Amino acid sequence: MTAGVDLAAIDTLVGDGPAEWDATGRIPVELLRKLGAMGVLCAEVPAKFGGLGATSLANGELAAHIGGLCSSLRSVMTVQGIAAATVRRFGDREQRRHYLGLLTSGKLACSAFSEPGAGSDLSGMATRIRPAGDGTGDVIVSGEKMWITGAAYADFVMVLGRYGDGDDGAAAMVPADAPGVSIEPVPSPLGCRAATHCRVVLDDVRIPADAVLGGGRQPLSLLFTIALSYGRMSVAWGCVGILRACLTAAAVDARTREQGGGPIAEHQLVARHIAELYTSERIATQVCVHAAEQWDRSAPDAAVTAVLAKQVGATHAARGAATAVQVLASRGFSDGHVVARAYRDAKAMELIEGSTEISQLVLARHAIDTI
Amino acid sequence: MTTANAGAETAAETVEKDLTVFLVQRTGAEPDVDQDLFATGVISSMFAMELVVHLEDTYDIEIVGPELSRDNFRSVRAVAAMVLRLSSAEAT
Repeated sequence: MTAGVDLAAIDTLVGDGPAEWDATGRIPVELLRKLGAMGVLCAEVPAKFGGLGATSLANGELAAHIGGLCSSLRSVMTVQGIAAATVRRFGDREQRRHYLGLLTSGKLACSAFSEPGAGSDLSGMATRIRPAGDGTGDVIVSGEKMWITGAAYADFVMVLGRYGDGDDGAAAMVPADAPGVSIEPVPSPLGCRAATHCRVVLDDVRIPADAVLGGGRQPLSLLFTIALSYGRMSVAWGCVGILRACLTAAAVDARTREQGGGPIAEHQLVARHIAELYTSERIATQVCVHAAEQWDRSAPDAAVTAVLAKQVGATHAARGAATAVQVLASRGFSDGHVVARAYRDAKAMELIEGSTEISQLVLARHAIDTI
Repeated sequence: MTTANAGAETAAETVEKDLTVFLVQRTGAEPDVDQDLFATGVISSMFAMELVVHLEDTYDIEIVGPELSRDNFRSVRAVAAMVLRLSSAEAT
């Protein structure tokens, strides 16, 4: 049991779906809704809103478990969790009750940060969330978002943008079926293929003012950090899951496959691969546990520990997945196989929620400022 | 909170002073009470969250929803005013 969730029940629901989802680029949406209604997709939502009330640590272990089964599914979990965390922090009382209730009863949300001209540098964000100014009290959302994970499944797109004509930020819960919203999956992504990565165009989308979390006008940097920090924790734990799945596959293979008269684990160069995978899994786990504990005690350095966990998780997962493919060789060399998926999915983890290079800049800045 | 019974102006000054000390410690900058903390780069994206957590812990308040508007974080004076408003609201 993790976060009060029956992991075996999740395993049964997921079954041997991930290989097929990877091939078709889609997870059955009914499955996502079922997991959503179980509270699994945003497990930190408190019980009073219908959630599981998981700690950061328990939610992390849940993300690792699901990440070990399927990084696409874990990615959908991540973006739903980002939306929920943002609602929880920035939403007013009624918005928290309304949206957190929906997000724990089967409705799906994604979160839209990146734009064609604003990837790593989110200060280049051009999407606007403006009062309509026509006496209706409505708000108009306009812009273009790119690489939006899970948008193909979403009932709500949580759009981050600038408020009014100024530099302040805002987050709006835009119904995916609102007139003016178009969602178009990027064809054939390298990794996390069934998560869907979409171009989302917001063509003067009219929404009620109460869909803007907390009324808007928040510091954009604060919106980013709260939302992305949750995402980084989730991705970091997802990488732990990737490493665990790769370690298991490689260890079983090395123990059972015979070459040259004995199991390949007895060949020293193969044994080193297993040792490195094990080491990576332990390192990533420990860094994630530390970060989760900092979150659970609201430590001042929580945001930085999330960057560190994501950085360690992603780089070790990318290396570890390549190692696992090397050990399994032809036995893992086809799309859909757990190590083949891990190899492609782990690379994506080095690009999202702050690329490896951007994470290094944040960590270097932290070290320079505090040591 | 020992400041709860002090005069309003004194309480504000105390929070402003404590906040300035915290900012100096953590960012190296010593902003004037009315200096725009975001526009002048005192609050970076990583530090923004740390500041919120610090205020919540130090003053036993919850800063959520509309309270997170930029106006409340614009300057040391604005932050102190919000802290006092929220801590007196929580006390009642």
